Amino acid sequence: MLLGKIVAVHSYKGGTGKTLISVNLAATLVKHGRKVCLLDLDFRAPSLSTVLNIEKVEYWLNDYLNGTCEIDKILIDLSDRIHNSGTFYVGLANPATEAIRDMTAKDRKWEMRALGRLLALRNSLLNDKGFDYVIFDTSPGLQYSSINAIVSADLVIVATTLDRSDVDGTKRMLRELYDLFEKKTDIILNKVLHDVSSKAGRGEVQTKIKDVYQAPLLGIIPCFCDVLRGEGGVIFSQERPEHPFAKILDEIANKIDNNMK
Amino acid sequence: MLFLLVLYTRKTQRGSRVSKQEILGKKPLHILEKIRENLEKLNEKIEVMIELQKHGRKDFQPLPEAPLDVMTLLSMPDHLRKTAMTLCRLGRATAEEIAQQTRRARAVESAYLNQLVIMGHLKKERKGRKAYFYIERESQG
Repeated sequence: MLLGKIVAVHSYKGGTGKTLISVNLAATLVKHGRKVCLLDLDFRAPSLSTVLNIEKVEYWLNDYLNGTCEIDKILIDLSDRIHNSGTFYVGLANPATEAIRDMTAKDRKWEMRALGRLLALRNSLLNDKGFDYVIFDTSPGLQYSSINAIVSADLVIVATTLDRSDVDGTKRMLRELYDLFEKKTDIILNKVLHDVSSKAGRGEVQTKIKDVYQAPLLGIIPCFCDVLRGEGGVIFSQERPEHPFAKILDEIANKIDNNMK
Repeated sequence: MLFLLVLYTRKTQRGSRVSKQEILGKKPLHILEKIRENLEKLNEKIEVMIELQKHGRKDFQPLPEAPLDVMTLLSMPDHLRKTAMTLCRLGRATAEEIAQQTRRARAVESAYLNQLVIMGHLKKERKGRKAYFYIERESQG
């Protein structure tokens, strides 16, 4: 039997495509018949409620981390959004300004308890509820909530671009964050402008990235105007399965599935 | 250190009152177990004293409670982080259980765990012969 895994999607800078990758990776794994739970841990800029167009939310992940409700109350069943597939649940971060302010003002003790609540998800979601994957969409950089997510995860996917400050920051995080917590880390290179349609083109970028980061490369995503046109609200694996972006996510999901066995 | 050992052995001899019959060989295994147990306790105390000396402290009182949050974990030396991370995952464990995960010696883990207790990051509780270490999360603030 496949043992469930927790995957954190993180990056050094904002705008590298964490949410896009999290949502589409989750949907692709669901399409592959997996039972997936996607959790928005970006409490500074929550976006899943908008991206997935969910209006009525009673309990947020903020409440779970505050210890005022259990995880069952948070989870929203979106399985019907992905046809002929597995199971898809999401947990959302509260986008209200007051909630964001509240989350940024937490102290160390609260963050320590929040880490305990996140670590407990391994038992409640993977062992008890039998999820195959729990995917954390996180805030960029070295934030408490993101590092809590990284510590709780089995695999960290780092979304990065070829932007120089992003490359430098990502390199530092690999050595000074993920390595220190002994986390398995894979890179997804996003918004690539090089021609990667040919094998030679892909090989060139792959070699460059492996040299720079000294970490495994999970996938290369070219800069697709269609993705930008979708305004962040398109689940490609469901709505445009023939699109190259959906196919790349398909390959990434297969790699994760194989690596995690 | 030898002086300490003698003092401690005398103390534990008085404390545990091993009977003459047992000493005469009727329960040699039991006696060996007792000796091992006492040596382990002694070892633990010496480890704590060594750690206290390192920190230039003479008393046995741990530092005021210091939350074991991720930033604290990040700033720790590598050897202690490994132990602390393993305890974070297990929730509550003995030095033996931590050692099984980290693949380091039990005595090494015991020393690191006691150091983390002194630093105020962990709590320690004895139950019978076993010492359990845990992170106190719920009762704070």
